[in-house]
Parts: sequence; structure tokens; C-alpha cells
Amino acid sequence: MTPPGRRPGERLVRSYVVTGGRSHPSRNTLDLVTLLIAALGPPLTGLSPEKRRLMELCRPGALSLAEVAGHLELPVSVTKVLVADLMDSGHLVTRTPIPSAGPPSDTRILQEVLDGLRSRL
Amino acid sequence: MTERIPEAASWCLAAGLLAVTVLLLRQRGISTRQRRRTAVLTEDLRVRDEELRHLAEVRLPALEDAPHQHVPAGVPAAGPLDARVAGTDFAKHLDSVLERFSEAVGHAQARADQSAKSALKASMRSIQALANEQQVSIAEMQDRHDHPDVLRDLLEIDHTNAQFGRRAQAIAVLCGSWPGRQRSTSALIDVVRGATSRVRDYRRVRVNGQVDIAVESRAVEPVVLAVAELLDNAARHSQPNTNVEVTVQSAHNGACVVIDDAGVGMDGQATERAAALLAGRDPVDVTRLDDPPQFGFAVIGVLAARYGFSVSVDTRSPYGGVRAVVFLPSTLLTHLAPVVEAPPRAEPSRAAGRPAGPGAASVTPVRPTRRAAEPVGTTTAGGLPKRRRRGPQQATPAEQPDAVPAEDVSARSAEENARRMGAFARGTRFGRAERDTTGTPAAPRPPDAPASPEAHAPTNAPVTSTDAPVTSADALVTPRGAPATPTSSPVTPTRAPVTPTDAFVMPASAPTTPTSALRTSTDASVPTADALAAPAETPVMPTGAPVTSYETPHRIEGSTQG
Repeated sequence: MTPPGRRPGERLVRSYVVTGGRSHPSRNTLDLVTLLIAALGPPLTGLSPEKRRLMELCRPGALSLAEVAGHLELPVSVTKVLVADLMDSGHLVTRTPIPSAGPPSDTRILQEVLDGLRSRL
Repeated sequence: MTERIPEAASWCLAAGLLAVTVLLLRQRGISTRQRRRTAVLTEDLRVRDEELRHLAEVRLPALEDAPHQHVPAGVPAAGPLDARVAGTDFAKHLDSVLERFSEAVGHAQARADQSAKSALKASMRSIQALANEQQVSIAEMQDRHDHPDVLRDLLEIDHTNAQFGRRAQAIAVLCGSWPGRQRSTSALIDVVRGATSRVRDYRRVRVNGQVDIAVESRAVEPVVLAVAELLDNAARHSQPNTNVEVTVQSAHNGACVVIDDAGVGMDGQATERAAALLAGRDPVDVTRLDDPPQFGFAVIGVLAARYGFSVSVDTRSPYGGVRAVVFLPSTLLTHLAPVVEAPPRAEPSRAAGRPAGPGAASVTPVRPTRRAAEPVGTTTAGGLPKRRRRGPQQATPAEQPDAVPAEDVSARSAEENARRMGAFARGTRFGRAERDTTGTPAAPRPPDAPASPEAHAPTNAPVTSTDAPVTSADALVTPRGAPATPTSSPVTPTRAPVTPTDAFVMPASAPTTPTSALRTSTDASVPTADALAAPAETPVMPTGAPVTSYETPHRIEGSTQG
């Protein structure tokens, strides 16, 4: 993620400015793999550059929080604060990871997968 | 005969008396003249004594205070005491004494200043290095620890450390050092916010203005430092419940950062002194800043003179305090790729099908090293030439017909990842819905699925199940971005649909990590099994098929990029 030679300490805008000094996200439901999806409605005017960039990242589809943090080059915990803000303002919709589909029961499918993998690898 | 003797004697006596009288008179005249002369000389001597005393008590101390403006300029304040002395040799000798003295004082002061500066510089450089080191560790800690309480403490430490580093940096700069950090070209707004990061009352600073102007990399750190000093000044001299308003705007031949505070203004004398310091014309004497030393304006003056921007503080702010204006000439400015800074305006042009690839649209401007995912178009929708990013372009499918599994996942753009994840999530939902309605995992495809007849036939030849031009299973999930990224890594979720025939559910043990670019750890792959139903989308979307029917309206622009 981080290009070589770029260390986290060299961020020009420090994290506390990004969050306005806050460290607690306004909601506690976010984790690394929460998928962030941009909502259509609210305009991006008035957002801070980081939030705007975050929205831009999420525009084309969905992105996990960890990936967003990586692209923004911000700590995950700081990104959570931003994401929580954007959820509050209605810019973002999140989806928790989809629960497991249950144990696969169809051995035929498993066999097909196995065959496919073998034929390929 | 004898009678004539007394007469003769009396004549002689008379003559003698006369002579004595004459002599006496002459002597008296001589002694009077002598006395007068002595008096003059005494007076002269006294004047010279006075003059010497004046020299020692008044003129030399005056020179000590201002050694650089010696004899000619110092005359009215510390000239000779007595006008009679002026022009004499004595006065000339006195002047030469003064000159020698002022030279000596000048040298001594220069030496003292030099040694003070070098001592301060060396110690500040080492402190600065320590502060930078500490900043790196704090940043790493912020990355490592996820707990909000820990983060709160770290943010406080980080803030204090940033101010600490700034003070050391300012003093080092004043002592002739360089600002110390090489930064990449940054947006002006980020430069201002970077300056905000380094002042105590950063919460009171409001930054307004949207300009897509960037500051050249060599000027970033000096401008940050100068703006930080101004912000600190503004915040320090205003009430804690007022805001410091910063406006960033473009100007003729440059850009301006306007800083308004609502505090106490400066009187005329202070303004003059500030203007003199800010002009940066005179060398700054570190030993002559007040007590406690006022570094701010002096530092700004040094930086402004060295880098060619200008700062003025002589305007009153409409809020009552001081308005400080930093003017950056266009030689210090540049333009970033005009994309992210103005997304609302960029959106319609993207929807209109501009030839640029999606990677070009999403790459953030402050990180020019990020690679673009697709070949970037040469002009924008407005017809302006488009800057190409440095860094290697990814190979096109024509150049790399075979799927290479070892693709660097980090090379993908954020947009690419987002699109994949979005497709994944939609596919999962779709597959779930299918299964729930039909009650069987191997539900038939929607009737409109174009690939279903072919897809049913071969059950163990998954890679030929669609009409994909690239015979790689990976391409199936990335219909939109397929030309650019045909080579996904084996650990990405896009490898999952190797059984596009009729598999809606994949084994939970399939080696996938949906968040392929996770920075943190491998445990992020926990939810992989959840997303494995995604192949539901792939059989119905052969790479050549239009994909807009699966897109929500705001993502239609993606279809022009496939």
C-alpha cells in the first residue's frame, strides 16, 4: 500500500486535524472489513478534503474500511471517525460482511471446484 | 664738583627706576599674556578631558548598541560635545578611535552572533531530528493501535510533538538552517492544514476556500512553517472563544492565504517593527530578539526572503484583529491533476464518457507515485492536455495474454478495488436472493442471462464457459475493468469463480481474501467465506456483455471504461 520510502510520520496534515481532535467514532459498529458504499443523495460540498477523497474512493462501488484507510494513508482508527461522520451525515452506507452461507452440502459442486482448480493449477 | 655727584646719582637712580619700571611693565604684560594663554590651554585641556569622558561615556556605548551604523550615521546622537573641537586634529583622532572601536565591536558581535547561531542551530537540529523521529513512532503507533482511548492519547502526544518540532524548526531556520524536510508537491489547502497541525489551538482554525492550486515541493515546508507562525500568532493574541479564519484564494500571478483573527490588533509601532522583520532585509540578530524572544515574524521574514514569497500584517481584520496575508507568487505554485479536489464538477464530465481511464479519475492528487490502472487519456473533457502520471503503466491484455497470477495487488487503483468489491457484494446479494427463492444452491440463472446455454455444458472446464476473449477465470468478475487487470493474484476474491457453470456457493475453504489490499493482517480474510456466493454474478456477465443493467445509475460512467 505505502509506496517505498514514504513513512507514516511524514504526513503533512496530522491525524488530529483530520478528525478535529476526536478519537472516538460516533458509532461502534465499524471494523476493518465493513464495506463502505457511497450514498447518492448528499452533495460533497463542505466536506473536508479527506472525507471528499474517501467519498471518491467509494463512488465506483464498495470498499472495505481497511482499504479506504490504506488509500487515504490514515490510521484505521482515524478513518473510523471519518466514516462514522459520513454515515451520520448520510454520505455513506455501510454493510457488515455478509454472514456465511452455511456449510456447503453439495459434494458435486465441491468436486467441480476441485476439478476446476486442478485443471488450472 | 662734589655738588654734581648727588645730581648724577639721582639721575642714575631715575634712569634705573625708569628701566625697572619699563621692565616691570613689560614683565607684567608678558605674565598677563602668559596667564591668558595658560587659561586657554587649561580650558582646552578641560574640553579635551570632557571630550574624552563624553567619548567613553556616551559615544562608545552608543556604538556598542549599534556597531553597524558607526561614525557618519551616529554623529547627531554621539558627536563631539564641544563645537570648538570639531575639525581639529584631536577630533580626527577621536573619530579614528571610534572607528577602530566600532570595528572591534562589530567583529566581536558578529563572532558572538555566529557562535550563538551555530550553537543554537546545532542543538535545534538535533532536537528537530528527535521530534521527527518521535513523530514517526507516534504515527506508527497510531497505525498499530485501534482503540479510541489509545488513539486519543496518541493524538495529544502527536499534537504536542508537532508544536515542539515547529519551535525547534523555527529557531533553526532563524539561525540559518534549512527548514529540514523534503515534501512532495502538496495542495495549498493541505499546506494550510499542515500548518494548522502545528499550532496549539488548531481547533479554532477554520480553513475556507477551494482552489486546485498546489505548492511546489521545495516551498511546501517553508510555507507551512510561515503560515504556522502566523496562525500561532493569531490564535495567541485572540480570545480562546473566537475563531481564526483562514481563506485560501487564487490571485493575480499567485495565490493568497489570508489569516484573520478577532483579537487585539497591533499599534502603529508594532506594525512597523513587524513589517521590518517580515521584509527580511536585515540580518536577524538572535541575541536581540526581545526577552522572551519573539521569533515568529523574524522567522517568517527569513523564510520569505529566502523563498520569495511575501507576508504582510498591516491590514486590520474585519473581525477586529490583524489580517495577515501570505502571497505566494506563481513561481512557487503548480497545479495538481484537477480531479479529486472538485468531485461535483468532475462527475458530469466522467459520466459524459471522457476518454480517460477510471484510474486517472480516482487517483488522489497528493500522491503522484500511485500508478494509474489504465492508460490515461491525453486530453480532458474540456480539451485541456492531461498530465500523465509517472510510474509504470500496467500491461494491457494484448501484451500479456496469459494470466499471470503474481500480480501486485497494491498496483490496483482504489477505484478498481472498489468496483470489484461492489460487484462482489452485489453478486452475493443476487446469489442469495436466487437461492432463497428457489431453495436450492444450484438455482438456474435468470432467463436473460446471455451466457447460460454455454455455461451449462462443460462442468469441468470452467474457463471456457463464457465467450470471454481472455480465457482466464479471473476476467469473469471484472467485466468493467477487465482490459486493464486481467492478471489478478491468486489471493484475491476474483479467483473464486473458477466454477462459473452453475455454482452459486463456493466452499468455505477457498483461498480468498476479499479485502485484497488490507494493510493490517491476514486475519482480515475471516469473512471470505461469506463473499463466496459472488460467482452468481459472473456467469451472467460475460466479459463482452454490456454491464450497465447491473449497475445503479450513478455508476453508469463505469461502463464507458470497460
